[in-house]
Amino acid sequence: MRKNLGMTLLLATGLALLASTAIAAEQCATAPVTVGFLPKLDTDPYFQVAQTGAEEAAGEIGGKAIKEAPSQATAEAQVQFINNLVSQQVGVIAISANDANAVAPALRRAAQQGVRVVSYDSDVATAARTVFLNQAKGDSLAEMMLESMGQLINYDGDFAILSSTPTATNQNAWIDYMKAKMKADSKFAKMNLVQVAYGQESEQVNQQQALALAQAFPNLKGIIIPAGIGLPAAARALDQAGLLDKIKLTGLAPATLIKKYIEGGNVQDIWWNVKDLGYLTYYAAQQVAMCKVTGKEGETFKAGRLGDFTVGKDGEVVLGPAKIVTPQNIDEFKF
Amino acid sequence: MSPRRAAPSLLQRWASWDNFLAGLTILVLVYAILAVPNFFTAFNISQAIAGVSERALIMLPMVVLIVAREIDLSVASILALSSVVFGMLIQAGMPMLPAILLTLVAGAACGAFNGAMVTVLGLPSLIVTLATMAMFRGIGYILLGVNSINVFPDAFLDFGIDNVPGTPVPWTIVPFLVLAPVFAIALQKMAIGRRIYAIGGNPEVARYSGVRLGRTVFWLFVLSGAICALAGMVYAARLSNARADNALGIELDVITIALLGGINVFGGKGRLTGVLWALLLVATIRNVLGLLQIGGDAQGTVIGLLLIVSLMAGNAAEQVFGRLRARLPLLKHDG
Repeated sequence: MRKNLGMTLLLATGLALLASTAIAAEQCATAPVTVGFLPKLDTDPYFQVAQTGAEEAAGEIGGKAIKEAPSQATAEAQVQFINNLVSQQVGVIAISANDANAVAPALRRAAQQGVRVVSYDSDVATAARTVFLNQAKGDSLAEMMLESMGQLINYDGDFAILSSTPTATNQNAWIDYMKAKMKADSKFAKMNLVQVAYGQESEQVNQQQALALAQAFPNLKGIIIPAGIGLPAAARALDQAGLLDKIKLTGLAPATLIKKYIEGGNVQDIWWNVKDLGYLTYYAAQQVAMCKVTGKEGETFKAGRLGDFTVGKDGEVVLGPAKIVTPQNIDEFKF
Repeated sequence: MSPRRAAPSLLQRWASWDNFLAGLTILVLVYAILAVPNFFTAFNISQAIAGVSERALIMLPMVVLIVAREIDLSVASILALSSVVFGMLIQAGMPMLPAILLTLVAGAACGAFNGAMVTVLGLPSLIVTLATMAMFRGIGYILLGVNSINVFPDAFLDFGIDNVPGTPVPWTIVPFLVLAPVFAIALQKMAIGRRIYAIGGNPEVARYSGVRLGRTVFWLFVLSGAICALAGMVYAARLSNARADNALGIELDVITIALLGGINVFGGKGRLTGVLWALLLVATIRNVLGLLQIGGDAQGTVIGLLLIVSLMAGNAAEQVFGRLRARLPLLKHDG
């Protein structure tokens, strides 16, 4: 065993002698580079659909889109993959962060090695990336959910909100926005918010709460459900109870999960084209690699079939307004 | 006769699980250096080492505890709680040195709680630490909620990110490099080590031979707690992040590596050196799979398979080694 210990120490010394590679200078790429996509979680269908967009874009302008992600949605696991992508000498890392601040030091170290960083879907600390490709602005999502509910109930009558948890930051901001909007805009004057309930990110609780709202408010005409688990669960529960004709639903969820209810006309959805997010991210990453986009407000670039985009405040690029998913456009949404 | 005797005695000396692992590890390393692009670069090697810093540290007391027929499942939770405590002390304006000392004390106190439950109340450590695994992390959540602390002194963050000057050895592995030889010598060369093997091998006999069993086990848990606190600070430095969900689930990684390293789950058997090889093997395999663009889920599968295959190989090898060892005295008689 002493020999083994000796060998271990020898190995450590050997590593110590490994010459440090020179730190790559800040160089601008002249040809398309490899973009390493680092989603929150391996095998998450959301990111797999986004990746098909990145691959489509790579087919159009060259370069390569690779994807690698951890099996646990933690910052620590992501740091290993950031380092791994740097070791593979990718040109750009495109990350959807599990923890905005905890991955930042590893990303800055990547930058020191000459790798550029963009974020998509879920941002990292502003200083740790060049641009953030955002799928949709929060306010616009809230406004569209309210508008969609208005369309479903002819801007008249009682409706409820079935949110995720009482402490969910995004949802609470959206609910506040909707309340303010209803006060300010006469279009929504006849609409009456009767209660905000919470589905606790659980399928069962969402189903119970949806049915409970239907019982508690006999005149209820609709429910807004701004949570990806809640909308499909509530749609299923109300459908089985035969209540969907009476109580319309809208909210935020992958369109394919509620496709048959949307086609039935009693449910709408606010969603975006996830594939396009990957497509846009790839184009932006190549622009960043070539130093054509540096994250300054007002810079513009072209992203293939999606057209022109402008870099906003804090290096944010918005994919575009989300869409209200209806029976007419449901086939556009592959996720 | 002498050549005939020399051959089996050499075999006998080398026929051990440690050397089998060492051989396998070196094989994988040689393969990686020769065949995996970007493996043998200073950046990759140093980041791969940094990535195992906390696991390597926690491994040391874990091995000792398992040898003593105990286990500590609360290690990752103590790590998380310690990082939270450290973060809050720094946030409250305490200078770094006293904050480090207090954090070590906090970790040791967690360990003392485990130790008292096991030795004073005589509860099985598997159940005690299963409970404190939830409890300690729970306290972390009570203290800090789901928030995180990201602001630390520069010296602390430099420790988390920089290498020892002129080498690819990250500072975060230095505590382990200092402690590992101490543990190896104490466990395998000193009286305390023999006592621990005796406790794990046969507690009743150890008790009657005058080993103060309870006291030794108590202090082993305290030691485990203090080292987890150290690992908690290393973790916080490496990810510049103190939060209650830090290092979620790494107790299983650590136990997996300990068992792969030949530590007998029923105590009394196994060597630290084997475990160090196992750690190096698993870290190398994960790194290589990452470089080959294989994602986290598939990596976990490979590591799981490796454990099962090596346990099977280990059983078969044990029989072969046993026969080799058994034959030696016969040959001696012949001679």
